[in-house]
Amino acid sequence: MSQTGTIQIDETKTKEELATPWNVVVHNDPINLMSYVTMVFMRVFGYPRTKAERHMLEVHNKGRSLVWSGGREQAEHYVHQLHGYQLLATMEKSGA
Amino acid sequence: MIELRVQPADEKHICISGIAPVLAVVLRELPEILEQRDSPNAQARLFPNPTSADDKTNQEWQQMIRPELRHLFVSAGETVARDLANLAGNESSPETYEITFPVEHLKAWMSAINQARLILAETSQIDEENMNRVDLDPHNPKDLAAFRIHLLGYLLHLLVELEIGDESTNSV
Repeated sequence: MSQTGTIQIDETKTKEELATPWNVVVHNDPINLMSYVTMVFMRVFGYPRTKAERHMLEVHNKGRSLVWSGGREQAEHYVHQLHGYQLLATMEKSGA
Repeated sequence: MIELRVQPADEKHICISGIAPVLAVVLRELPEILEQRDSPNAQARLFPNPTSADDKTNQEWQQMIRPELRHLFVSAGETVARDLANLAGNESSPETYEITFPVEHLKAWMSAINQARLILAETSQIDEENMNRVDLDPHNPKDLAAFRIHLLGYLLHLLVELEIGDESTNSV
């Protein structure tokens, strides 16, 4: 019984961890071109140009933009791709 | 006036024409610039950590992902270096140069040029103020680096335009 209870707690914790979204954040840098960053957002996330430009301008004006939220594995994949395009990108747990 | 142009040569090739001598020099320097990717400053910029505070994740990332990214970057540079062997004077316009390369190399060209811009910025410690200056002194190494970054940026912008359409050239 107690063992079952322990398992349930662990399962609950795991589910909570899995349910907590991760944010992919792109940070400002003075070298990357606005057009290049827009293109990267279109290619990596499949965003339409207007949405890609909106995020690019947020990076430019506010220093960072939350470009995607979701599971950790997918967030790692996106950060990997963004680094492949030489953008400054990090992932962070939502609400952290 | 020399007009730099990037356009399809045919269905399988892209032609960059109207390359001014100064840009031709910088393009020929690309392989040398890219060799500096392993300098400490350039490494920090090209291979950033994926989190701001999770040391374990960052360490694993540097062990697992960094070699893969480095291979990707080196490969792009090598592709462009091979293509640059075709950089030649334009017969109809002797003051300019042109180059043609396969369409499938476009991504490598954008990667290599962007790498070079970032490496030049890091190794010369170029910041936003340097980038925004208009009175560049050719005898000042930092200004010279900024000038090369701008030159490569204009070509990169034209390559991006070819890929997705027109856009402005300001930096983010």
